[in-house]
Amino acid sequence: METKDILQNLVSGIAIGSTYGLIGLGVVFLWQSIERINFANISSAMLSAYLFYTFYSEIGMGFFISFVLSVGIVALYGLGLRYLIHEPITKRGGGRLEFVVATLMICVLWLNVIIVFYGGLPKPFPPVFGKATDFVRFAGVSLPVVYFYIFLVVAILMAFLHFLLRKTLVGKSLRATAQNKEVAQLMGVNVNLTTSLAFMLSTTVVGIAGILLAPIYFVSLELGGGSIGIKGFSAAVMAGLIDPYGAVVGGILLGIIENFSTLFISSTYRDVISFLILVAVLIFKPKGIFVWSLHRD
Amino acid sequence: MKSKIFATLLVLALLTALSFGAIKVALCAPFTGLGSILGDYIKKGAKLAVEEINSTGGVLGEQIELTVYDTAANPSTAMNVVRRALFSDKVVAVFGPNMSSAVLGVHQLAQQAKTPMLVGATSPSFRFTKVHNPFLFRLRADDDVKVSQLVKYAVDVLGIKKPGVIYGSTDYCLAALDVAKREFGARGIEIVDAEQIKEGEKDATGQLLKLKNAGFDGLIGLTHEPEAAVVVKQLRQLEIDVPIIGFSAWGVPAFTDLAGDAAIGVYSVQGFNPNDSELAVRSFVAHYKSKWGEEPSDPAQAYYDGIYLLAKAIEIANSTDGEKLAEVLSNQLEMYGVQGMLKCDEHHNFTSICYISQFDGESWTIIDKLH
Repeated sequence: METKDILQNLVSGIAIGSTYGLIGLGVVFLWQSIERINFANISSAMLSAYLFYTFYSEIGMGFFISFVLSVGIVALYGLGLRYLIHEPITKRGGGRLEFVVATLMICVLWLNVIIVFYGGLPKPFPPVFGKATDFVRFAGVSLPVVYFYIFLVVAILMAFLHFLLRKTLVGKSLRATAQNKEVAQLMGVNVNLTTSLAFMLSTTVVGIAGILLAPIYFVSLELGGGSIGIKGFSAAVMAGLIDPYGAVVGGILLGIIENFSTLFISSTYRDVISFLILVAVLIFKPKGIFVWSLHRD
Repeated sequence: MKSKIFATLLVLALLTALSFGAIKVALCAPFTGLGSILGDYIKKGAKLAVEEINSTGGVLGEQIELTVYDTAANPSTAMNVVRRALFSDKVVAVFGPNMSSAVLGVHQLAQQAKTPMLVGATSPSFRFTKVHNPFLFRLRADDDVKVSQLVKYAVDVLGIKKPGVIYGSTDYCLAALDVAKREFGARGIEIVDAEQIKEGEKDATGQLLKLKNAGFDGLIGLTHEPEAAVVVKQLRQLEIDVPIIGFSAWGVPAFTDLAGDAAIGVYSVQGFNPNDSELAVRSFVAHYKSKWGEEPSDPAQAYYDGIYLLAKAIEIANSTDGEKLAEVLSNQLEMYGVQGMLKCDEHHNFTSICYISQFDGESWTIIDKLH
């Protein structure tokens, strides 16, 4: 095996892993903001991809308008999640477990809604981030152009989430609400506003991810119920659900493990190996392995 | 008031008499769910044939009445709708379901009702020689035939001596892999490496690098459409220049739409190609386009042929009795359709036609038509 092949496999692993990390960021954000796990997190990616496809490819709107409309609708969907799911459950004495189960059902619901309106076959994403055969080549290694957009957005979102949660009053309010709603309220935090903001921002982050991932995952049900949701969640778990940088590194590690399992062991057992390692991580380091930038405070 | 009631009763009586006179046929296909695009083609192909037959006086002087049921690409829903068609609506014949897994689940109902079931699903697992159901018939070439032709073309024409295989994890892909192994083996050729890409995976770098290092000189693609698109894109990315020949999922718009330019040059074994210059195909394509405003795609032609087969069988049997129809379909019927000469073989397949075609960026150019 040539060195450049190993390098290519590594770069491809990093690239696909960054897509897991991108989804993991949404999980981390919601946990940091309201200490809830939304199993319908990945649905926001699917919804924004289908909305963008509808506005851009089917109606013929421009890129910018299609993007803003899609992400805007997904942000409002976040608000809907709060008022139609989270609040009624909380009001009736339900907690985290009930919310998890409800969002799991929502995830299945969205998959079926998409099947009814769009059918099950994947649709091609318009070449707004380059054609299928547009690659960047360097040192014997190549990558589709779209991955460079993903790297850029991952870097921006990581820094944004870190800055928002740690350096701004809004972020502090979000975390205070997550830790103790009543005390936060007594301290003058507008809990109503911060909770809405948490839901809207978490679906927005994943919604942006959906549009970026669609050239790779296609406009497909895969974006709303496939393995990327589980892998994104795994990336967040490796970050202890609190560290945005850790979620991205966790995703990348998962991508690299997958690719090298295929290259040196077997493509058939690729997922078996990856998930065995993840289970081992959970057993031995249940609080995550990539938790550097933030501490539970 | 009395005259209004009388008129209503008269209309109802007329409608009842008309529906008693019609030959009721069921079409069970997916219109929602994963295979919904196929349902659209299936319905349009079958409806076109029904309208053509009815416009020329129907069969034995009666009109064909096609009732459409949605299987939602789900075996349990297929079971419910087929049961309803057979035992409640008491149809003369059932067309579909079109998914192999659904056919395996429901074909015994047709046997129980003694009603012919004509399907476009392609798995070899329900050949007559395996399930022994005298009421089950297939309207397309099965996958065993297609993979055998694919291997023949790969070896005899493309000159592939060190084939590498990329395959999926479903029954459709694994059954095709078994046939490919058998056919290459029969020609004394060893598959240098077979790598799996599971449904939903979006990176095949590891698999393709392994194939490259195994020294493959041609790629045999036995996956579904999205994975086929991932594989060809990455072959272009990695600049691996080998002939690519794929199974039926590699020869449909669902693949070329997703793969874009990367699909140029790919060979595929297809069940139907609208560019065929054969008169029956040209006529079917022209009628279909004029009726529906779009080009037909596989399996529209199979269900179009199927309706004509049933009409002919009813004429020969001079009856709509299920057992008589099954007997005629099995042993007495031979007719020329869009898919060439249609005649029931020992597997209860009416055709073994397939095309080897190459994608040129716009459409599929037929290289060879095989029977």
